[in-house]
Amino acid sequence: MPSRPRLYIDVHILQTVPPANLNRDDNGSPKEAYFGGKRRSRVSSQAWKRATRLHFAERYEPQDLGTRTKRIAGKLAERLAARAGAALSAEDAQRVAGALLKPMGIAAGKKAGDTAYLLFYGRRQLEGIVDLVAADAAELAALDDQQLEERVKNLPVREQLQQGHPVDVALFGRMVADIPGLNVDAATQVAHALSTHATELEFDYYTAVDDETGDEETGAGMIGTIGFNSATLYRYATVGLHQLTDNLGEEKTAVEAVDLFVDSFARSMPTGYGNSFAHRTRPSLVAVVVRTDQPVNLVSAYENAVPAGDGILAESARRLAAEYRTATSQWGDEPLHTAICHTLDAASPETAALAEAFGANRTFAELREGLRTALTERTATR
Amino acid sequence: MPADTTPQGDRAVLLLRLAGPLQSWGDRSAFNRRDTTPQPTKSGVVGLLAAAAGRPREADLTDLVGLRLGVRVDQPGTLLRDYHTVSDYRGLPLPQAGVNAKGVQKPTSPSKHTHVTHRYYLQDAVFLVAVEGPAELVTALGEAVTRPAFPLALGRRSCTPTQPLSLGVRRGTPLETALAEEPWQANEPTRKAHERQAKRGQAPRRTDRVDLAASFDDPHGDDTCRDVPLSFDPRRRGFGTRKVRHAWLSVPTGLRAALPTEPPADGGHDPFALLGW
Repeated sequence: MPSRPRLYIDVHILQTVPPANLNRDDNGSPKEAYFGGKRRSRVSSQAWKRATRLHFAERYEPQDLGTRTKRIAGKLAERLAARAGAALSAEDAQRVAGALLKPMGIAAGKKAGDTAYLLFYGRRQLEGIVDLVAADAAELAALDDQQLEERVKNLPVREQLQQGHPVDVALFGRMVADIPGLNVDAATQVAHALSTHATELEFDYYTAVDDETGDEETGAGMIGTIGFNSATLYRYATVGLHQLTDNLGEEKTAVEAVDLFVDSFARSMPTGYGNSFAHRTRPSLVAVVVRTDQPVNLVSAYENAVPAGDGILAESARRLAAEYRTATSQWGDEPLHTAICHTLDAASPETAALAEAFGANRTFAELREGLRTALTERTATR
Repeated sequence: MPADTTPQGDRAVLLLRLAGPLQSWGDRSAFNRRDTTPQPTKSGVVGLLAAAAGRPREADLTDLVGLRLGVRVDQPGTLLRDYHTVSDYRGLPLPQAGVNAKGVQKPTSPSKHTHVTHRYYLQDAVFLVAVEGPAELVTALGEAVTRPAFPLALGRRSCTPTQPLSLGVRRGTPLETALAEEPWQANEPTRKAHERQAKRGQAPRRTDRVDLAASFDDPHGDDTCRDVPLSFDPRRRGFGTRKVRHAWLSVPTGLRAALPTEPPADGGHDPFALLGW
């Protein structure tokens, strides 16, 4: 059982995409799904996760989110002492931890930066190192420093740590079929994005002209079709802060990672047919809800497809607010923190409904700041 | 009726509404083709409960596997085939399946950058799942589902459930009764279609009740499913079998009986209902 209190961060996004083909199937058409009996545009969770990861990779140095090597030694000593119990005093645990890390040049107290691959380490990796020596802890503690070093020199500590978890692995998980020890269970869950309304698949018939043909040759150089549709998408993801903390090994880093995720999830976009459609939009609405009970996907708001007509976005926003409020009142939920950022007209009834559900409209920077503060406060009070 | 279906004081039933745009319940697929069965599998439901309770992958599942499972198909949904390619986002070649002496995967040679897989989903489906077992365990699981340790999923991680997931725990009610009494969970468009058909005099003939397919764990059942998880530990994956009985349940729809409720001239016998027509 995870000992950390559960804390989920739900992210709800409404994003309008012009004619585009973000994520295509083997026929080259945009992916679709039926929901509420109507055909919807779909972007697979995998496609958007990839876009999110690329966004991380472009904008953040891995070091920006690193933990210090010093702490690895400390954390390792802590875990070693916890596992060995009375067999190992706190000082001895530190001594053994130091000896274990020494062959890699990361003895406790040494400067960070030498060991880039260690910047992200996971709980299981540390447990793996503890596994190597837990049984012999008392015996090891009795040895003097030199004997101890000699003894642990050839243990596969490096192998345990070499596969350090970067933030995207902690968030999205990793699966290595042949080496289950390297698997990481994802802390996030990303749903397939679905349009809030019914969509039809359309085809763009195009011809490409050959500039160099003479007068005697008529017709196109080539012809083809591209499937496309346009949609207002509902995107949903949830992050388990407790699990993310376990994956990363540290709460502060986990809060940073949540912030990074919210930012990249909101700003990223799959690039499929990007040059043909220039579909790059930003979300019209981002709402975050921090909960201690369970993640809540609000896609049921769109089970009855939003009718085409005046303002799909406004109606989608109104329904999101209504669904959230129904869920809250029906189930007695008391979210820890909510915040919203949207681009709807301040005087519109939808804005009032959204404010009632999620609070006043903020800028995206304020939303992130507020989320960080709420999570930091929450983790600090424990 | 088998002995374990009789209600006993210390037994209870947890009702779960499994609904979301996509679900996927694999039972035998591996590698590049990931199928889904038309109904939730026992391994899927046990996995969901284990995740809710925060059990690590290596944890013992004996008590969860011992729960009796019943599934009611409230809205069967349709099959969705998803074409899916995999590549390394850093542009690196994909790793080989095997490992070298150090236990590290080497890149493919000649390098392969894209891997094609087919994943099957059920779209627009709604199921009512009941698990029956010792009251203490079932109550704890009911609580866990509303405060899950890990995010829950309908058979696959990207298939997030919609709320409400738990419809609560029923005490002193056998599983069959609990499934038959719970009102129909289908969504608005499906309910409207049902009402329209009944009013036109087509099958179904009644608006206030609907016949739904269901299946139950039953040692005397005539169907065998190979979906009983032995462990979720990636090193010791394995599945056992269970016997299943199929049945039809007449379930209240929550809609008003718009038509006279006396049976039609043919006694209400509709042989085609069994075929789901």
